[in-house]
Amino acid sequence: METIFWILSAITVLGALFAIMLRNLVHCVLSLILFFLGIAGHYFLLRADFLGAVQILIYVGAVAVLMLFAIMLTRHVTGDEGPREVLGGKWWAGMGTAIIIAGLLWAIIRKDQLAQILPAGGAQTSMVEIGKAMVTDWVVPFEAMAVLLTAALIGAVVIALEEVIRRR
Amino acid sequence: MIPLLLIHLIKIACVIGVMLGIVAYTVLAERKICAWMQDRIGPNRVGPFGLLQPVADGLKFIFKEDVLPHHVNKVYFTLAPMIAMIPALITIAVVPWGSQLVIPSVSHDPIPGVIANLNVGILFVFAISSLGVYGIVLAGWSSNSKYPFLGGIRSSAQMISYEVCLGLSVVPVFMQVGSLNLMKVVEYQAQHTWLGFTQPLSCFIFLVSAFAETNRLPFDLPEAEQELVGGYHTEYSSMKFAMFFLGEYAAMFMASALMATLFFGGWSLPFAPFNAPAQTLTVGLIHIGIFLAKVCGFLFFFIWVRWTIPRFRYDQLMTLGWKIFIPLTLLNILISGVVLAVITK
Repeated sequence: METIFWILSAITVLGALFAIMLRNLVHCVLSLILFFLGIAGHYFLLRADFLGAVQILIYVGAVAVLMLFAIMLTRHVTGDEGPREVLGGKWWAGMGTAIIIAGLLWAIIRKDQLAQILPAGGAQTSMVEIGKAMVTDWVVPFEAMAVLLTAALIGAVVIALEEVIRRR
Repeated sequence: MIPLLLIHLIKIACVIGVMLGIVAYTVLAERKICAWMQDRIGPNRVGPFGLLQPVADGLKFIFKEDVLPHHVNKVYFTLAPMIAMIPALITIAVVPWGSQLVIPSVSHDPIPGVIANLNVGILFVFAISSLGVYGIVLAGWSSNSKYPFLGGIRSSAQMISYEVCLGLSVVPVFMQVGSLNLMKVVEYQAQHTWLGFTQPLSCFIFLVSAFAETNRLPFDLPEAEQELVGGYHTEYSSMKFAMFFLGEYAAMFMASALMATLFFGGWSLPFAPFNAPAQTLTVGLIHIGIFLAKVCGFLFFFIWVRWTIPRFRYDQLMTLGWKIFIPLTLLNILISGVVLAVITK
């Protein structure tokens, strides 16, 4: 199990690094897919089958396809032209992000909360339990997410409509 | 006694072997049936009744020159046909081919008729089969020419749209059964009734969406010979082309297997002794035979429809998916929920 964990971690980290470091945008998206698959593998390793399957279905099967779709419709995907600049002088943004993430990680690891939430044998939760939790304990966040997604959907329609009206 | 790992390997080898065998002969069946429907004879030169035609085709594909056009992106160009082929071969692992095989000399416990008895069965199938679109998109993009690119773009839009329908259409089935495990779905149908009868709308939408997902006529817009010169595989030749071809038929096999499993009782027949897990080896093997017969029936249906119905226009395809099927599936989920709530109360 431990070996699989390290292999998956290596795939995940390499995928994430390539996703931000490669110049060709298509290569970047494909690296991102590798990263998503690595995360899904970690979920399966934790016995969270449902989460793993949903991760692949949503992120690899839909989100990344849409990214690829959008990138292929644009020009200059190879990224050969122009000087290469990392962060574009905004080093403080990178530093800020690094500090926030380090702080979050430190808080999580110090409080050891993950170990409390997850039982020793991994989270073998059934879909019935997930469903029940969603409509009882977590109903408010669940509904809030639903409202957020609906708002995003309506926003997309409004933007697309403006385009149609302008063309007329 | 044979170790468990070996049993698994034998099962995987059998499943892949039988599947690819049926896939090869589906190609022949397609040519034969289309010939009959058009009042021709069809391939009949190689072997008796042309039965060795798939072997001849395979050899031809292997020995043909593998043309690699100079303008393609070589890595993705080679990778794409592999990606197109693999999802169907992986997802078949969670589909139950039979109930169980009781062979006391090989193993104490009955051997289940499925390779991986996953609790999230159908979700796994959707997750992996959603990767199939990458094969086509990458093929279209890496070919680096107009028609394959247009085919790839069309295909990704089509497959994403109909994946939503496909996923939503089976929700009522699992509301009724109460599990995502395909083994449990079949056992439920063996005990009660086939879900094709209690969920006809689900069944219909799933069937049509499966046609769209496998890029078969009337949904073969990604290929559309007359407008796109073959679409995403225009630049492919030899075995790489054959892998797209096999991928399409393997996906058809998978769709047929899912139709049989979800809506038409899988390995079961609605009378004894075929409506309960097998207690003897003979019944176990007959269960597998029943399943394969159902799959072949649906494969025939796929071919039948292909040579009967003309292709949709692109706007018709999108209207059907987004404006008709998705509202219908949502309504179906609502109605099923209300009915189930009333019944269980």
